Amino acid sequence: MSRRTMLQQSAVGFGYLALQSLLAEEVLAAKRSNDPLAAKLPHFEPRAKRIIFLFMKGGPSHVDTFDPKPALQRDDGKELPFEKPRVQFANTGSLLRSPWKFRQYGESGLPVSELFPHVAEHVDDLCFLNSVHGTNAAHGGALLKLHTGSDNFIRPSMGAWVTYGLGTENRDLPGFVTICPTLAHGGVRNWGPAFLPAHFQGTPLGNASLAAKQAGVSYVENKAMSRRMQRLQLDLLGELNRGHLDQTGPNSQLESRINSFELAFRMQGEIPTVEDISQETSATQKLYGLDDPVTEDFGRQCLLARRFSERGVRFVQVTHSDANVQWDQHSKLKEGHTKNSLEVDRPIAGLLTDLKSRGLLDDTLVLWGGEFGRTPTAQGRDGRDHNPEGFTMWLAGGGVKRGFRYGATDEYGYFAVEDKMHIHDLHATLLHLLGLDHERLTYRYAGRDFRLTDVSGHVAHKILS
Amino acid sequence: MKRRVTSLLAGLLAMCTVSAIADEAPNQPSASNAAGIRFFETQIRPLLAEHCYKCHGAEEQESGLRLDTFAGLMSGGDSGPAIVGNEPAQSLIVAATSYKNEELQMPPDGKLSDQEIAAIVRWIAMGAPHPNAGAQSIAPRSAIDLEEGRKFWAFQTPRAAAIPKVQNGSWPKAPIDYFVLANLESHGLAPSMPADRRTLIRRATFDLIGLPPTGDEIEAFLADESPEAYAKVIDRLLASPRYGERWGRHWLDVARYADSNGLDENIAHGNAWRYRDYVVAAFNSDKPYDQFLTEQLAGDLLDNSDDMSTKYERLIATGFLSLGPKVLAEVDETKMEMDIIDEQIDTIGRSLMGLTLGCARCHDHKFDPIGTSDYYALAGIFKSTRTMEHYTKIARWWENPIPTEDESIAQHAHERQLAQLQSQIDKVVARANDELAKKLGAGAALPKEPESQYPAETKAELKKLRQELTELEEAAPEISTAMGVGERETADVRVHLRGSHLTQGELTPRRFPLVMADDIQQPFPNDRSGRLRLANWLTSNDHPLTSRVMVNRVWRWHFGEGLVRTPDNFGRLGEEPVNGPLLDWLAVWFQEEGWSIKSSHRLIMLSATYQMQSGFDAPSAAVDPENRLQWRANIRRLEAEAIRDSLLAVSQRLDGEMGGSLVHVKNREFFFNHTSQDTTTYDSRRRSLYLPVVRNHLYDVFQLFDYSDAGVANGNRTTSTVAPQALFMMNSDFVIEVTSTLAERLLDRRTESDTERVEVLYEIGYGRLPTPAEQTRAESFLRRAEAALGREIEDVTERRHEAWRMLCQAIVSSNEFVYVR
Repeated sequence: MSRRTMLQQSAVGFGYLALQSLLAEEVLAAKRSNDPLAAKLPHFEPRAKRIIFLFMKGGPSHVDTFDPKPALQRDDGKELPFEKPRVQFANTGSLLRSPWKFRQYGESGLPVSELFPHVAEHVDDLCFLNSVHGTNAAHGGALLKLHTGSDNFIRPSMGAWVTYGLGTENRDLPGFVTICPTLAHGGVRNWGPAFLPAHFQGTPLGNASLAAKQAGVSYVENKAMSRRMQRLQLDLLGELNRGHLDQTGPNSQLESRINSFELAFRMQGEIPTVEDISQETSATQKLYGLDDPVTEDFGRQCLLARRFSERGVRFVQVTHSDANVQWDQHSKLKEGHTKNSLEVDRPIAGLLTDLKSRGLLDDTLVLWGGEFGRTPTAQGRDGRDHNPEGFTMWLAGGGVKRGFRYGATDEYGYFAVEDKMHIHDLHATLLHLLGLDHERLTYRYAGRDFRLTDVSGHVAHKILS
Repeated sequence: MKRRVTSLLAGLLAMCTVSAIADEAPNQPSASNAAGIRFFETQIRPLLAEHCYKCHGAEEQESGLRLDTFAGLMSGGDSGPAIVGNEPAQSLIVAATSYKNEELQMPPDGKLSDQEIAAIVRWIAMGAPHPNAGAQSIAPRSAIDLEEGRKFWAFQTPRAAAIPKVQNGSWPKAPIDYFVLANLESHGLAPSMPADRRTLIRRATFDLIGLPPTGDEIEAFLADESPEAYAKVIDRLLASPRYGERWGRHWLDVARYADSNGLDENIAHGNAWRYRDYVVAAFNSDKPYDQFLTEQLAGDLLDNSDDMSTKYERLIATGFLSLGPKVLAEVDETKMEMDIIDEQIDTIGRSLMGLTLGCARCHDHKFDPIGTSDYYALAGIFKSTRTMEHYTKIARWWENPIPTEDESIAQHAHERQLAQLQSQIDKVVARANDELAKKLGAGAALPKEPESQYPAETKAELKKLRQELTELEEAAPEISTAMGVGERETADVRVHLRGSHLTQGELTPRRFPLVMADDIQQPFPNDRSGRLRLANWLTSNDHPLTSRVMVNRVWRWHFGEGLVRTPDNFGRLGEEPVNGPLLDWLAVWFQEEGWSIKSSHRLIMLSATYQMQSGFDAPSAAVDPENRLQWRANIRRLEAEAIRDSLLAVSQRLDGEMGGSLVHVKNREFFFNHTSQDTTTYDSRRRSLYLPVVRNHLYDVFQLFDYSDAGVANGNRTTSTVAPQALFMMNSDFVIEVTSTLAERLLDRRTESDTERVEVLYEIGYGRLPTPAEQTRAESFLRRAEAALGREIEDVTERRHEAWRMLCQAIVSSNEFVYVR
């Protein structure tokens, strides 16, 4: 694309021009160094520069958290008055009322249940997406759909697409980081690059079976050598490689491999610094709930997310999952959801407060949600089944309306009915907020141009601020 | 062709009907047509205007579809025609508005009312009368022009080109050299000088067995002055069992081999290793490629006479069709079945024909002349194939029993025991019934549940015997099984509109894609899936792609780039061959040579083309910077396996044991369940080929160094250069351990000086001796490192070892170690 067409296609704002000149130097440098991870210009002026995805594995129930249904309370125990979906994960019975009360918060007066009293305090910064729907009723398929846009093909994850589209702002760190991700239900696929070049894959810190305390990037620590000795060794390696290059003649691969060792040396210095949260004040640590064993683990993940984000990492995902499928309350809804929300409510609220006070919320987009919601009908006596037909996610920051509700499910919360937002639409919208046109963000592989949104996806313009 | 003609005809006829009526009296419609048009104007047009025009009208044409004109309706959008006259069930507009297909629901903001949908159905059933239906016929946009399609180079049977004339007649050593040289000369380029012997043996050894040459092998080659010295090296390497491990692994990339399912439910392919071992053995024995291919597609259908080992081998070969990733917890079982079939078609397309057949699942292929009818005609073959035991979540793939002799004996013994016990039970019952009958008196019938009236001791005896029977049944001896396929009831498949089984169109009897086959094909038999016929068609001498695709793969794995640089895509979006006549010559030669892969190695490696230097030459690089014409050898990075295997080899830790499984999880059990605990270990010292290939969580070394994805056929691994690779070389326990062992190995040579040790290290690491400058540099590094370590390590021996380890690590981390020239 020429500079002129790019300007024509963009909303010609000073912000974008300023950004362009700011980036111009880096982009030029990137071209020279042939560095695929260097910052790249978006398609048009972005509203957000980076994403933090708070992933609630297992499928939190929307009708018990952010999508109250008076009819459900009223008709507890009655049959659902319309047909259930053609394909269901398990059989469910009659309607089951929510055990939690909802209350209106903030100036917007948006309702939040008792499960999220701290997040509720931020309701005027949130943009609820009440009409998200997917296509797969099983965890694996739904996770893959949410993370890669496809439940049966092997496709790059959204973090990889974003990194491919925008590069990274900090070359001493990976562009895409995922903290304590689950290895089940798609595992690495959910942060993998598929056919995109390996540069764009997510870098995991630990996995869901490890405490956040133990989570770190692999191979940044050398057990045999001090940093001083390693420097001595790398100098020798540099000499060996330059001698070899003199023999072979100019070769971009060999040159870039020489550079990769220097970059690696810087990364292994930088990453432990980011991972070291002892540098945070005790007030900040407390804000994230690190003072309480219940919130400590997820709080640490959220705090790490902020530390990576503020250093220019493009896409950070944190995963709330333990050795079980955390939010998957097929039974004992009350017990399970109470425990789960206690673990995440304070840390999430802390993250929002912290981002806001640091001015980061303006250009950081926070996304909250699970792979699906849960049925308004009961599974067993006191549980809810998977429900991909309609559920709630929310956004905060980076260019979305504040204190806003978008879309709606039916009166019981089973199906999305108004302003329906398919996972593809969510992806299109996220990319749009980052200044990327989901139809233009393509990668040619095996003879075809691929997109995160495949052949679908509509931007939900109504939620843009 | 026939089917396509039929469907086209149907469409045209529908149009003709409409246009004929219109022609009849353009300004004065007939009564019935007038009624039809009135129906359209009152029921259909307002509906389309209200719900569709905004996105599919004059202003916008999303997905290329326009519904406000007759032409738009008939020609359709990217997914095909919106309406097929008189055929509501085959019309996309009906499929979309019915909301049956979750990926195609129109209008998007809410389903039309039942009456509105019924009106559309009725209108199409009427032949879709429309006032603008004019004289001109409108073809569906996606109609495939077969005659045009067949002109594309890849769909024409390869013919051996004449060996071209060259100016520099002294250079060529093999027929392929003439083709390469002619191409170079026509661009004003000349080939590079021949590589020296050290470079050549290193290149050939990595190439054929994926390991570095040993010092002895290098010395022997340098000392052999006979003209056949190099040919002898190649023969030695081809005869090594390490060869099959190397080249079998190449094929496993294409076969998307893995030891776990991946995707949603990552359970173990506990028997996949049998297929892997089959592939290694096939390469080692130089199994002709046509036979290799046939066994993988239809090994279960071949006549084995009574040779059990051949029979088992062929059953194992069909694992090829079963190894793909499957969504095993897909709740929609029909969708799961079609997804699995799709994966098979896609794999066969890419791996054997270099075609992206999977693209034609939802719509006619956008670039290649492959229609949905071609796709679903192939789908019938796999629909008639047993790939799965059942589809109920978590679904189970099919495995063929391949009992060993001992297992068979045990199985038969077990069956006999079961039969004995059963007959014992039957006897007790019969006797008890007799006694009961006597007790009840003559003529009285036995009660419905006679057992309830048996004496207590008889009841107890039966209970005990039945308990034994249950236990015996549960203690059935285990039988070896292999992933693979079998036959099942044959079925033809209908075209699935937009790929969904919920919206089905025309029935497509099984046949081959028309662009590569006859218009009129023998119908497939009703009692066979047709896999064997598929294999025979693929391996027939006039198939345009099979041979070309395989020789191109071999070329790719030797040179780093194929003659077609997109080895998995020979379609229009792939690249055209760099040297078409050479590709075709090779393709024909390969068939004539009995599809022998080892012969093709000899042909290629004995050529002057293969033996060139990789040195840079600025004028040549200015003409051909990517070396497409092959004016020099490519510098190539080792693959993930070769890096790991070489590190183990140079430290003499490599374990050469062949075959078998290192997977610690039982067949069909989870590698990862929801606990995310990774219990797989990779601390084996065996070749990388034998390490578990766990989809969704590949071994770090594999993941880092561009291993195949293991989920999709891939004959063209990328080579990335990323910082995490450097971190692995710098900091991983693995590299620290192997370099520690290598240092020990060097220091154990007590009789040698450090100068000699450095020489040995260079020969081990680079296959050459150090220059004096390099010698000095290494020794001065050792001195500086030892001095610097003085502050950290007290023990002199340890310090010396660590300094040597650091040197070894620098050597194996360097470009010269991981790149072959």
